[in-house]
Amino acid sequence: MEFLNTIGGGALALLGAALAAALACVGSAKGTGIAGEAGAGLVAEDPSKSGKVLILQVIPGTQGLYGFVIFFLAYSKVSNLITSINVAQGLQIVSACLPIAIGGLLSAIAQGKVAAASINILAKKPDDWSKGMIMCIIVEFYAILCLLASFLMLNSIVL
Amino acid sequence: MAILKMKHLRLMLMKDQKDELLRKLIRLGCVQFNEIKDSEEDPEYAGLLSGLTTSLSSCRNRQATLNSAIAVIDRYVPEKSPLLAAKIEVSADILLDDSGIESALNRAEQVIAADDRAKRISSEESRQRNLIEALTPWLPLDLRLEKPWTERAQWILGTIQGKAGIDSLNDALLEYTDEAEAFEINADKSRRYVAVVFSKDQLAAVQECLRATGFNTVSFSELKGTPKDCINLAKAELNSLDKEKEECFDVIEQNAEFRKEFKLASDKMDARATIAEAEEKLLSTENVLIMEGWVPEESEKKLDAVLSGFDCAWETEAPEKAEYPDVPVKLKNNFLTNGLNMVTNMYSLPQYGTVDPNPLMAPFFILFYGLMMADMGYGIIMILAAIVAKAKMKPRDNALSFTQLLFWGGIATFAMGALTGAFFSDIPYQIVHLLNPESTWKGLPYLFSPISNSETVLYGSLVLGLLHLNAGMIVSFVMKKRAGNLADAIWEEGSLWVLLVGGVLAVLKIGNVAGIPVVLIIGVIMLLFGAGRHAKGFGKVTAAFGCIYNTATGWFGDVLSYSRIMALMLAGGVVGQVFNNVALMPAKNSGINVLTVIAFILIFVLGHLMNFGLNLLGCYVHDLRLQCLEFFGKFYQDGGKPFTPLKFGGKFVRAKEN
Repeated sequence: MEFLNTIGGGALALLGAALAAALACVGSAKGTGIAGEAGAGLVAEDPSKSGKVLILQVIPGTQGLYGFVIFFLAYSKVSNLITSINVAQGLQIVSACLPIAIGGLLSAIAQGKVAAASINILAKKPDDWSKGMIMCIIVEFYAILCLLASFLMLNSIVL
Repeated sequence: MAILKMKHLRLMLMKDQKDELLRKLIRLGCVQFNEIKDSEEDPEYAGLLSGLTTSLSSCRNRQATLNSAIAVIDRYVPEKSPLLAAKIEVSADILLDDSGIESALNRAEQVIAADDRAKRISSEESRQRNLIEALTPWLPLDLRLEKPWTERAQWILGTIQGKAGIDSLNDALLEYTDEAEAFEINADKSRRYVAVVFSKDQLAAVQECLRATGFNTVSFSELKGTPKDCINLAKAELNSLDKEKEECFDVIEQNAEFRKEFKLASDKMDARATIAEAEEKLLSTENVLIMEGWVPEESEKKLDAVLSGFDCAWETEAPEKAEYPDVPVKLKNNFLTNGLNMVTNMYSLPQYGTVDPNPLMAPFFILFYGLMMADMGYGIIMILAAIVAKAKMKPRDNALSFTQLLFWGGIATFAMGALTGAFFSDIPYQIVHLLNPESTWKGLPYLFSPISNSETVLYGSLVLGLLHLNAGMIVSFVMKKRAGNLADAIWEEGSLWVLLVGGVLAVLKIGNVAGIPVVLIIGVIMLLFGAGRHAKGFGKVTAAFGCIYNTATGWFGDVLSYSRIMALMLAGGVVGQVFNNVALMPAKNSGINVLTVIAFILIFVLGHLMNFGLNLLGCYVHDLRLQCLEFFGKFYQDGGKPFTPLKFGGKFVRAKEN
């Protein structure tokens, strides 16, 4: 405890906000990267599909956005109080940020893989590509739940 | 509002009237042709009949030719088409008229031939370019390539690595023979281009030496003249190829103005192929044709009017129960419920003789969608988009369902947005507080808000889920009762209802006798008895345990699944709110000026566009899931075959509706 006190609650709170943005964005970067690699292959064969490939590629990008949303809420909550937050409050903020940090990271990668596989659908059965999109959105739901868990926790923290 | 009643049609017709009849039927668009099965059962009957030879494959081939010509033209001379344009409408007479097909086909073949030639020229061009590239380093070499020898001397061309100097190669050569010398012709960063000249009888020694020094031999034996000559020749060849390619482009460009004709001809061929497909299903004797198929009861009069002009005998009869799995299904819906066809078609059509889920699903689907989106601004966008699309594209079938669903979803989204006080999330509140920081305005009034009353909204979602599931069970109950399985209905749905009521009463502590929730226990007993009533012996026990497990986990899972309504409602609102915050941040920090207003508009529009797009799709998918998994699970019997009548179905134009 003594050790944590020397660090201070403000630093912990910022750590939470940083994790929410950073991990979720890393996940989205990986997810969109996986989908992008698959998409580039298809676009090389058939450039006219680039619009649809782009749509599939950006789907795993939303986790980064959710991470940023939580970062923003957490940061605006603590930005004026960094020096006065105690360790307990700081840890509360870290806990609240964890769902979207971890969930965003992993769900974006999983979604990126589904998006890459859906690009396969787009290549082989272009008329059915929207079904692939729907499969991607199913993964999205868990990122939304993480966003909500983080949001509800953040909302209940009183500083 | 229902599954259309179908009638089984049998028809016999004089063979020479076949074409005219099929042309009339394709205009009518309400008769589906079937393969005739009876003949298989009755050998005598089958012996008389034979299939027809049709022009199906030639029609499809011609259509494919026209389509690839259109694709070629679209590639070379892209057509600017307005974003939302309806297909051109032409009359059925034009679609069935043969004129113009032949000339369009001839032109299409020219276009395809020109495209093929252009492709061949391109590959020849790249071959010539590669040759020039390979020869360029050898330009200073003033020797003929086809004959690398004189009476006594011979030379080999090749490259060595740039790091190794020409002198070291000469030193190496000296070790093998003194009648050879290497000359550097040219050099670039990585390689030196070298000609090794030697006395003819030293060939073996030189070759051995070159192998040992990592010399890459280059051979141009198929070329004639000096490298310079060859390059000039290749350049001349490139020029003439270029001209030839231009000619090909000209042919394609000249034909671009016939694009419309190609499209019309392609759809004409499609109509002929469709007719030929129907013909394939007919059987005939020498003079008489037999056909079987389905016609909706409501279209029988129209069919009668058409058939009265022919020498034919025909009858229709309602299908028997045993036939139901084979009866094609067509749903007829009104303006409110037609939109849900999109959902039903994507999932699976209901079986003939069961219920059309659209009217049952429509109120829930639209309400849930509204609750999940819940934003007045987004609702307005959806309504406008639907109206514009309807007016500009004049959609039919699935596209029509989509615009209708968008319209109703938009209205529900607007209504729920009004109830939750959301207009592009909380932009009115944020702007008012930016303009007047002292304002005490709390934002748009709301009945419930996902942010301040998230628990209420969550419980509300679950209650809606219970209503939804019960609606499904009522449908199932009625269907079982109609089918004469009242006992099943009572033991399955009935006992669940008793259980549910008992559960509610137990929670509210009403109707307990001596502290025991009687109704709940009656429900459990009914459920257990119902589950085990067909099983025997020990089977009764396993059936009962299975039933408890399934009911408990199934129902809990189903009801909790409706929490997604609250989740999506809240998520859309929160993301929108953060975008509003970010968009207004420049103005908050450095006052309202041109730059901050531009920044606001940019971030606001982009952010909400993304949030809108994501929610539009996300809410649809999750609403779909609630309908198809939770709701349909209670009663739906899928597996109906779609009704596919003989009708025009071209890709580019469409027939005017009669």
